[in-house]
Amino acid sequence: MMKKWRQQMKRWMTEKLELPADIMMDLPRITMVGQIHIYIENHRGLLAFSDKELRLLLRNGQLLVRGEQFVIKTILPEEILLEGKISQVVYIEEEKR
Amino acid sequence: MKNEWVDTFTGSVRVKAEGKGTERLINACVRNGITVWNVKKHSRDTATFFIKLSDVKRLRHIARQSECKLSFVGRTGLPFFWRRAWRNSGFWLGLFVFIAIMFLLSNIVWNIDIEGAAPETEHQIVRELKRMGVERGAFQFLLDDPETLQKKLTERIHDITWVGVQWEGTSLHFRVVEKEIPKPKQPASPRHLVAKKEAVVADLFVEEGQPLVSVNDYVQKGQLLVSGIIGVEGRTKFVPSTGKVFGETWYKSTVVLPLETTFHVLTGKSIERHYIGIGRFSLPVWGWKKPTFTHTVIEREKRPFRFWKWDLPFYYERVIVREAEAVKRSYTWEEAFAEAKKIARRELQAKLPEEATIRGEKVLHQSKESGKVRVELHYTVIENIAVPQPIVQGD
Repeated sequence: MMKKWRQQMKRWMTEKLELPADIMMDLPRITMVGQIHIYIENHRGLLAFSDKELRLLLRNGQLLVRGEQFVIKTILPEEILLEGKISQVVYIEEEKR
Repeated sequence: MKNEWVDTFTGSVRVKAEGKGTERLINACVRNGITVWNVKKHSRDTATFFIKLSDVKRLRHIARQSECKLSFVGRTGLPFFWRRAWRNSGFWLGLFVFIAIMFLLSNIVWNIDIEGAAPETEHQIVRELKRMGVERGAFQFLLDDPETLQKKLTERIHDITWVGVQWEGTSLHFRVVEKEIPKPKQPASPRHLVAKKEAVVADLFVEEGQPLVSVNDYVQKGQLLVSGIIGVEGRTKFVPSTGKVFGETWYKSTVVLPLETTFHVLTGKSIERHYIGIGRFSLPVWGWKKPTFTHTVIEREKRPFRFWKWDLPFYYERVIVREAEAVKRSYTWEEAFAEAKKIARRELQAKLPEEATIRGEKVLHQSKESGKVRVELHYTVIENIAVPQPIVQGD
């Protein structure tokens, strides 16, 4: 419901407000609250998870989160909320072929 | 974010997944719409997470296609709580039965002890109590309250002057003070006998002392009747004079009596109802009949239930609805005068000591007022007018 509404909203905004199209480009949207929470939207699945590392698949490339005492609070098809002590957020770009 | 308290109602399960590809399992779960939360990795190949109880079946289906071994390590939520409570139902039943028995026993009279009574009186008290339903094993809330017990006991047993009734936990404690019949005392000190009020002496019985008046003498109040000083002059002796001097005395009384009086009389029919209540709310437990009485007198009696040694906020209430009847009494003028005279006589007799007699009655005045009669009467009474007065011996 939220997602649908958000996509409709996006379409409407790009049409009406002529926003740059890269917002529509299926890029991840990351929200962090200090070191303790990280909320990632638009991911493509879990690749690896341990209490020190989280590896997520993105549309192009991967996202690597490092830290300590990781707990996945919630996981939905395109959203994930991670708790713990976050020290690094790293983008790993796919090699261009 | 999801509401976690909803899961406490539906129940949730903690799953432990072992093997390679726990991440893939979680991805598969998420894609199939299973809500997964609190995912933790304990080592390279073990992860734990929570799912809803209702998703367990689907998880099994998904897990078959993965390389993970699943085990359930924790259950929380209401469904599991109920299941556990049901499994422990024996314990709960036991606890309930224990409390019930405790409650029952707390409301029973366990002991009646009577203190300060002679064996015969004690026996009499026990018998009287049994008739009122007070005995070992009776329910406390069915009994009268201590004040009523006290009143009834002192009324019914003549040998006791006072009885203190007190609850001490589940035992009823009676403290009795018995009547002591005083021994007739011999008057020791010398005394005179003097007149209690003005009268005409009608008769004299002097046992000891020197009578100073004779029959038909008119005496004033306080006048010396029998002297305690006897003997001729010079050789006098002081004695405690005793005796009775009957004198004719006079009384006047006025009685006003209405011709018509209405009063409420109980017919003897009654309905009992029993309630159990808390605070101002009470629940009927017995007695459903609707009274068909037009006039009623309602009696209420509340007794708290007890537990161990405390009074509970619950109480037992007995309501007795008695039928009352309005009775109208009417007299004719003649009847009213006669009745008024009777009343006056009765009132006077109640006032006089036992050995006094009413000798004569004379109507001084009688009148009819609006719906009332008024009668003034004059009585001649023969009574003992002698009262002792000690002789103060000076030198």
